[in-house]
Amino acid sequence: MIEAKNIDFYYGNFQALKNISMKIEPKTVTAFIGPSGCGKSTFLRIFNRMNDLIKDTQMEGECLINGQNIYDKSINIDNLRKDVGMVFQKPNPFPKSIFENVAYGLRVNNMGDKSFIGQRVEESLKDAALWDEVKDKLNKSAYELSGGQQQRLCIARALAVKPSIILMDEPASALDPISTSKIEELIHNLKNQYTIVIVTHNMQQAARVSDNTGFFMLGELIEYSNTKKMFLNPEKETTQNYITGRFG
Amino acid sequence: MNHKEEELKLLKDEIIQMWKLVISQLEKAKIAFLTNDVELALEIAQTEKRVNSMELKVERNCENYIALYNPVAIDLRLVLSIMKISISLERIGDYAEGIAHHIIDRDCNNIDNELIEELEIEKMFGVLLNMITNALVIFDLEETKSSRKILKKDKEVNRIYKMAFERLESYVLKNPKDALCGLKLILLIRKLERFGDHSGNIVEEIVFFLDAKVLKHKGKLE
Amino acid sequence: MNKKVSQNIAFFIFKFFGVLVIGILFSIIGFIGYNGIQVISWEFLTEFPKEGMTSGGIFPAIVGTFYLVVGSLIFAFPLGVMSAIYTTEYAGKGWIVRIIRIMTNNLASIPSIVFGLFGMALFVNKLNFGDSILAGSLTLGLLVLPLIIRTSEEALLAVPQSYREGSLALGATKLQTIRRIVLPAAFGNIITGLILSIGRVSGETAPILFTVAAYFLPKLPSGIFDQAMALPYHLYVLATSGTDLEASRPMAYGTALVLILIVLIMNLIASFFRKKL
Repeated sequence: MIEAKNIDFYYGNFQALKNISMKIEPKTVTAFIGPSGCGKSTFLRIFNRMNDLIKDTQMEGECLINGQNIYDKSINIDNLRKDVGMVFQKPNPFPKSIFENVAYGLRVNNMGDKSFIGQRVEESLKDAALWDEVKDKLNKSAYELSGGQQQRLCIARALAVKPSIILMDEPASALDPISTSKIEELIHNLKNQYTIVIVTHNMQQAARVSDNTGFFMLGELIEYSNTKKMFLNPEKETTQNYITGRFG
Repeated sequence: MNHKEEELKLLKDEIIQMWKLVISQLEKAKIAFLTNDVELALEIAQTEKRVNSMELKVERNCENYIALYNPVAIDLRLVLSIMKISISLERIGDYAEGIAHHIIDRDCNNIDNELIEELEIEKMFGVLLNMITNALVIFDLEETKSSRKILKKDKEVNRIYKMAFERLESYVLKNPKDALCGLKLILLIRKLERFGDHSGNIVEEIVFFLDAKVLKHKGKLE
Repeated sequence: MNKKVSQNIAFFIFKFFGVLVIGILFSIIGFIGYNGIQVISWEFLTEFPKEGMTSGGIFPAIVGTFYLVVGSLIFAFPLGVMSAIYTTEYAGKGWIVRIIRIMTNNLASIPSIVFGLFGMALFVNKLNFGDSILAGSLTLGLLVLPLIIRTSEEALLAVPQSYREGSLALGATKLQTIRRIVLPAAFGNIITGLILSIGRVSGETAPILFTVAAYFLPKLPSGIFDQAMALPYHLYVLATSGTDLEASRPMAYGTALVLILIVLIMNLIASFFRKKL
């Protein structure tokens, strides 16, 4: 359960997020849509404190995950990020072998011995629907895989440390349609075990994969509701104009 | 207006054209029935083919629009309602044709004017024409305020329909030789009643399109 | 004049100067190569200079240069890489980093003789190391430090940010990210910088002039506080202050060729690494 309360976010003097509050239920897929620069990715990165890496930024408000404010001083950021996995826009496997890519999170978090790691790697690759394609070349470089496979590898890598939440920042935007539909299928299957939040600029994708959709514009959360309702009968005029493509 | 909207406008124009044709069919049917004009009835039967082909065209264009433009929200609702409205309009066209054949058959030509008066058939025609024309107006203006008023008119149609049985029964009992005519008349009135239902459906589709509210099967509006 | 003619003339001028420069370069290398190859032999590489440096070999100078290269890089390499890690990974983009950058760039453009003087003042006299391999190595280390810092910085900056984000997003600490992801990814380019530094160190004369280099030593250095001979300085001696300059001239060409070959080989290895990664 993620609960954002009155979040403001600034890049220097620019206010990127304006008083955003939102609740995300466990084991659902939530999609964020909106035009470029609307703050949807910034908001996503609030949940694993990825914005901390950017200099000269400032955040106000609270973000609770399972009741705990993740911006509290007592929070260990590394543990937070272990629990809140992330998949990025462009596939970013490490320049290591396929096996080591998936094992990485387990190693840096000191999770288990050699046999445990081997087992987890296999499980994660299976969960990411990649096992059959790579089981014979686990020691090959991750860069020998296709773009779509690389992205599924990145998903497997995130799954390996058993997070409860997975954030996806336009995970299919660099992929061809077939790889995209594989990723979407994967998201659909992972929904039973994980809370997934996905940023996408493909509205049909949001419609296909998500249970709830949030529409952002100019740093504001314009509308947040059930995806079916959003795409059949959005409440706000702005939302309607955006999703039907009559902007401006 | 962008390309997508232009296509949608074309779709809308098409259904409006079909709508107007159906209204004119109905007006002709009314006149043909009241004046026993076989010529006009034959014309109606001819035009019915055009209504049918227009329905096919609207349906095909809707399918294409969905396939190519992936409409959502109000656009999706508009396309869906256009599809359903076209089905209802086609049905209404069929009824108009049915009425025309009733006249063409010439086996019930000299019905007592008093009986027609008593059955309130002209009034029924009037109410229905009013319903379908007003439905077109709210569709075109995209303004659903008067939708309830239109839907209420269906009650009037139903009232006339129900009364028709008693009146025809007493008429046929008095004039047994006109029994066939009586049966035919009840069929005609039945058609007009169905027509009223379809007009109601059309209004409901317009409400769905504009307000995304589903009025169907809610025990009809009170 | 039509366009085509003017274009041809311009092209001819560029080509002429291009070929000219390459020609000069090749004639220098050819000259040294031709003269040097005649004295190079196994004895030349493995024996001490004999008879007032008019015969024998340059073995102690090769060994001395080797010691200086190793000594200076033991000191400069870790320091340079660590400061590069600091500036690229930790310090952000603030004014501190800008000042450090300006300083390292300035340091790189200071004439090497100034390093020599500084090394003499600090290491030889103030710290009392005397003329020694230690003092020379430290001085050379200071000289190549900016080079190592710059190449390492560039190597680290060339590592895609997405690797770091990917690692941090898995719950790795910053240190783990640097050690397990960033450094391995930058390794090839860092090594390239290291090898370029070896070339630079082995060729410098001025910094060792006052800090370590000996005119002639009858034996190899036995510790870091001993003086040593070195190839560039030996070349200088052979060319300017031998007992019989005419007789030692061929030896000078041989020494120059050995020096050029060492630098060339180092650069080849460097470009091999760069291509591979």
